[in-house]
Amino acid sequence: MSPRSPALPAMPPRAVSLRSLLRHETLLALILLAALALLALANDRFLTTANLLNQGRLMTEVGLIAIAMTFVVITGGIDLSVGSILGLCAVLVGVFWKNLELPLPVAMTLSLGVGTLAGLVNGLIITRFRVPPLIATLATLALYRGLAEGISQAKSVRGYPAWFFELGQGSIVGIPTQLWLLLAAALVGIVVLRSTTFGRATYAIGNNEQGAAFSGLPVARTKLLIYAASGFMAGLAALVFVSRVTTTRSDMGTGIELDVITAVVLGGTSIFGGRGFVTGTLLGLCLIQVLKNGLALSGVRGDGTVVIIGAVLIVAVLISNVLKRWNGE
Amino acid sequence: MRSLLALFVGTSLLATPALAQTPWTGGDDLPATPLACDATVKTVAPGPYNGGAPTGAPNRAGKPLRVVDIPKLVGVGYFASTASGIQQAAKETGSMTVTTDGPTKANIDEQVTFIDNYITSGVDGILFAANDPVAIAPVLKRALKAGINVVGYDADAEPDARQWFVNEAEPNGVAKALIDQLASEIGATGSFAIVTSTFTTPNQARWITEMGAYAAKCHPKLKFLETVEAQEDNILSFNQAQTLINKYGDGLKGIVGMTSVATPAASEAVQQNKLCGKMAVVGLALPNAMKPYINGGCIKSTVLWSTVDLGYAAGLALRAVADGTLKPGATSFKAGRLGELSIINQSQILLGAPKVFTKADINDFDF
Repeated sequence: MSPRSPALPAMPPRAVSLRSLLRHETLLALILLAALALLALANDRFLTTANLLNQGRLMTEVGLIAIAMTFVVITGGIDLSVGSILGLCAVLVGVFWKNLELPLPVAMTLSLGVGTLAGLVNGLIITRFRVPPLIATLATLALYRGLAEGISQAKSVRGYPAWFFELGQGSIVGIPTQLWLLLAAALVGIVVLRSTTFGRATYAIGNNEQGAAFSGLPVARTKLLIYAASGFMAGLAALVFVSRVTTTRSDMGTGIELDVITAVVLGGTSIFGGRGFVTGTLLGLCLIQVLKNGLALSGVRGDGTVVIIGAVLIVAVLISNVLKRWNGE
Repeated sequence: MRSLLALFVGTSLLATPALAQTPWTGGDDLPATPLACDATVKTVAPGPYNGGAPTGAPNRAGKPLRVVDIPKLVGVGYFASTASGIQQAAKETGSMTVTTDGPTKANIDEQVTFIDNYITSGVDGILFAANDPVAIAPVLKRALKAGINVVGYDADAEPDARQWFVNEAEPNGVAKALIDQLASEIGATGSFAIVTSTFTTPNQARWITEMGAYAAKCHPKLKFLETVEAQEDNILSFNQAQTLINKYGDGLKGIVGMTSVATPAASEAVQQNKLCGKMAVVGLALPNAMKPYINGGCIKSTVLWSTVDLGYAAGLALRAVADGTLKPGATSFKAGRLGELSIINQSQILLGAPKVFTKADINDFDF
């Protein structure tokens, strides 16, 4: 590979060797283990199966969206509208079920369909009209949230049947139901990104979109599918969320896009595209959740916790950059 | 397209009689229960207890308690003052250590996570102000199941998800305080307009309906002009108040602000238009936000409950349930310096009538 000059940070990053990728993930895993050990020493209620499984329950919504977001960021894009899509889908489950009196499974399916459609619209705006993803999804962030608020009329829908709560509050073989969903989604994400032509096209687009297009790769179609998948995952997260908190509100998922992007970036995915792994994202996700929970249990207050998470994010990215530079030379 | 048009016409026809029933725009369509015009308080039996109970709670009577207070959000004056009230209660009982912690934005998801973590950390008691009554219920029920005492204040959860709730004011009490104050400032036949958040915001809609009912009963000659929406946005509230002033001129004697944002913004509009003394602003607002206008003499009053007392009563209530002195079926609760508070709606402790802050005492309050 060609040597990369640190004096030209704006240069589009190339694919780096597998060794450097492993390094970021290994580094992250080490930090995670260190955090687990330190927090377990600081508090005896932290490292218990019940607490860790409960944390898995709490991080599923962010995790589901983060898996799709990894793909989005690898193409060099971003999807800021996921929180609003979550809110819209949550409201629609309630409206379809209560106001239109559809059976709940149908309402759930329709709501997932709307989520996918919302993502597809993002993709269309980005690919057809060549609007930068940041701007396109910033616009739909406002648009979808507005729709959610307008449709819900500030009224929440409650009183779902008991079976629906299994998704967000129940367990299968001792593991929270939604954690199975997250594991399945993660597996699919890992396999698709690593071992399919679709995955390779994703990296190719992020590395050099024009080059990918000239090589005959279906750039527009790949991006459309990825943004649609992002919308679908936001819809799925909405179902889990509604089931967990037993009600729908139009402000659900506000700001979740930042948690998602934090997990993805902490996981080593380059914001310029072309580099990243689903496993990295999952490690980043776990690290944030472990810090939030462990620090809270050790008596650090909410404002202190966010400061520490911000610091960890900067340190992790700095160390990773230093490692990368060494690796490149 | 034609059927769509028919649908529109149909719904608008249907909507007309419904509108006629609520004379004041911005209200909800639930029945109102106006209070008596004078200060007589009709005591209503609270009814059977419908709160929850912790399972397997240890005997905490007289023992030190580790309590966490989780308001809707931290870093705002309102909840900083409830937290200071809770600390007063902790100091007075001498046996509680209370930490206030919570999300930095009023977010149900984050609030649930905070409570979840404190359950795991093994606190004895949880005080909360819910961002959503239903969304917070599962995690609070988990707390009760873990044997933790749970008491709410300011914003309730579903009754069976907590033990008691300290209710700062009932809608008809807020309505009476606002309308009585308005009538005393603009006269019995004055005309006024309302600035609210949105027509569908539950609390504000409830208060407006109760205000309409109370005015019809006790101040029937007050002239209601219109209600305008201003979200809870400072600039929009100012602009809406300015529009009302331009639109009605001398025909407008008073503006009622339904949110803690709208009231100071309307006061600013009145002051900038040099209408001090000619146009009254009455409404709900934090004393600190209203001090410039009230101390300057442009505006006469602001209505709110004492948030310090609210936190104080909640803190004492938590100590009392842990001690077992506040039990299901109680009809009143002895709350230290606040005296005897009545119990209403099965499992709520009523703080009392809202407080009208005036130039005479507003500087004694800092929130």
